[in-house]
Amino acid sequence: MAGAFSSINTALSALRYQQAALDIASTNIANVSTDGYVRRRVVGETVGAAAAPAVWSRSNEIGSGVQSSGVQRMVDSLLDARVRREHGRQSYLDLKAAAMARVETGIAEPSETGVAKAIDTFQKSLDDLNNAPSSDAARSQVLANANVVADAFNIQARNLEDETGDQRARVLSTVQEINDVAKQLADTNFTISTSSGNGSDTATLMDTRDQLALRLSELTGATATTRADGGMDMTLGGVSLVSGRTSATLQIATGITPTGAGDGSPVAFTLLQQDGTTPAVVPPTGELAASVELIDVVLPGYAAGLNDLVKQFADAFNDAHDDGYDATGAVGGKFFDYTDPDRAGSLKVVVTSTSAIAVSSVASTTPGVGNNDTGNASKLADSITIQDGYQRLVNGFGSAVASTQRLAANQVAMTSQVDAAREQQAGVSIDEETVNMVMAQHSYEAAARVMTTVDEMLDTLINRTGIVGR
Amino acid sequence: MTLVRMTQNMLSRQSFTGMQTAMARVAKAQEQLTTGRLINRPSDDPTGATSAMRIRSSLAAQTQYVRNADDAVGWLDQSDSALQEATTQVSRARDIALQGANGGALGPKALEALATEVDQIREGLITTANTKYLDRPIFGGITAGGAAYKADGTLADPDALGTPSGVVRTVADGARIRIDLEGPAVFGPEGDSVFTHLTDLSDALRTGDSAAIQTAISTLKADSDRVSNAQADIGARTVRVETARSVANDATLTLSNALSSVENVDLAKATVDLGLREVAYQAALGATARVLQPSLLDFLR
Repeated sequence: MAGAFSSINTALSALRYQQAALDIASTNIANVSTDGYVRRRVVGETVGAAAAPAVWSRSNEIGSGVQSSGVQRMVDSLLDARVRREHGRQSYLDLKAAAMARVETGIAEPSETGVAKAIDTFQKSLDDLNNAPSSDAARSQVLANANVVADAFNIQARNLEDETGDQRARVLSTVQEINDVAKQLADTNFTISTSSGNGSDTATLMDTRDQLALRLSELTGATATTRADGGMDMTLGGVSLVSGRTSATLQIATGITPTGAGDGSPVAFTLLQQDGTTPAVVPPTGELAASVELIDVVLPGYAAGLNDLVKQFADAFNDAHDDGYDATGAVGGKFFDYTDPDRAGSLKVVVTSTSAIAVSSVASTTPGVGNNDTGNASKLADSITIQDGYQRLVNGFGSAVASTQRLAANQVAMTSQVDAAREQQAGVSIDEETVNMVMAQHSYEAAARVMTTVDEMLDTLINRTGIVGR
Repeated sequence: MTLVRMTQNMLSRQSFTGMQTAMARVAKAQEQLTTGRLINRPSDDPTGATSAMRIRSSLAAQTQYVRNADDAVGWLDQSDSALQEATTQVSRARDIALQGANGGALGPKALEALATEVDQIREGLITTANTKYLDRPIFGGITAGGAAYKADGTLADPDALGTPSGVVRTVADGARIRIDLEGPAVFGPEGDSVFTHLTDLSDALRTGDSAAIQTAISTLKADSDRVSNAQADIGARTVRVETARSVANDATLTLSNALSSVENVDLAKATVDLGLREVAYQAALGATARVLQPSLLDFLR
């Protein structure tokens, strides 16, 4: 038989529980737009009859209220893993597409200012010189336009070099950030394990943990596994990056010097483990993988194509020029010059005097006096055959940019889909919280009414019982 | 995707994405309208960009062919008028020779006068032979000097003649037309040229050598024929060059149109597109404004 005051206690537990529910609702509302916040729900359980009644005893209690058994974070760890994976791919594609678009803008084709236009103009000026070999104006036009061609190639080479330099600097800062975040995650893991040990609420720490893990995935494409103590371990390309309270240090093994310059070899990373070993590691996706791919594959690929074209262009033109005789009757010699391996960046015109352009195909009979033959001008113009190759190169790069942008756009659909799925689960709905709030309020009021009722009952019992006939 | 719960954040994020997409599309349409170009970078349309670059290249070449042909026509016209002049001068000399052949009727003074006129014709003819186009003697081959013939009627720069290329203009892809005639082809080979014949004629007139005058009449006939042939040759070349020029002009026009159709924006279409996209953007804005405003709180008491 329950005691007379048990209902008061029951009402008291309800008051406490509803207070907690109101607290949770207000926390949810407060954090409605906080990044990485996962909505909480207070889990209530009935306090009641003995869980395991003994054979010879029996309880006729019908329940003694409610208590909160804990606060639940509304997450789905499977969904979180997908979010991390898709975000890793997204940041990889976004970074790659953005950098390639920048390079593409630098190519400036098709336009009135690009390499293609410069070559066309140069070829035209050679025809003009063919028409007027004795004209100084035509000759200086050829020289000026040759310099424009060299400049156009130089500018493209410099753009590529700048972008490569930017990406190297980005790798340096990304590695720094990865190590910082990994360290923070390890620290958070430690706090979670101690907090959960002493029974404190770890929901906020879990939010932080998930945020850090997501950031690591965005940076490197690292994958996560949850530990029994609530912490999170991360592995990068099969090598441990964070394990419990310890984190490994990502180091650049080759490819980039500490000052951000290239060292000629492909970019490679090692992970310095706590035990001193340094296994090699390849970031699968994420911003780091994008930068590495740009530095090692995309940008050098375009540069190599450009350098091949420059070699083809300059060598053919020099050969043709060397076959001719200039305005003073001397043999043409070299017209363009470049140095390996950065041919596009080092292409320059070595002929400085207008009279040194060799358009004549007929050797001079009088030393020091040339002639007005222009047999070599057409040979010079015909030696320029790189237009097709250049168009192919630009077309190829344009297609690569377009396809990367398409992939990135598709990935946006994927990413926003998993984000929406996660938000469905973990996002705060103001309507829902309002309902919860109103429910808590009403329940609180009802519990208070229970108390008043019991109070009145006791009043009846104590003050009005046994006074019959008094 | 089955929606179990919707939250305000999902709504706002969706609205934001929608507005961003709509705005990006407006920006793209605006870029096309303001630049007037469909292809602003290779990735906009890689195939189109390649065609555009190819067409630009061809267009540059065709424009240059037109320029080359213009220059060639100038040179050929100059040659034609010089040859016209030369024909007149040679026939005049021949008339004088015929006049001198009736030697019996003329006294030595009259013959002397005729001889003087022949000398003047010779000087005039040498000037004609040194006609220049843009500072280059048109009958001088590839000479860098200012004259084809010296004042004595001999070639100024014999080495500049007979070169394989000569003076050539490219008027179409692979079509290189030689536009010059070298002095000997017009005025006769060195030593047997119209200038020697005129000297011979004036000497014959002065000495009254009628046999020599008769010889001069027939040689000058041959000289006159040679100049006329040269003129016909120049005329034929002019026709070739002008045909090539009109072909190149047509090609320029066709290629410009082709470039414009590949690269340029259809203004009407782009404007309509921009309008439609603006409407879509405004719809997104309107939807956002309506969707984000109400919450349950608005309806509680």
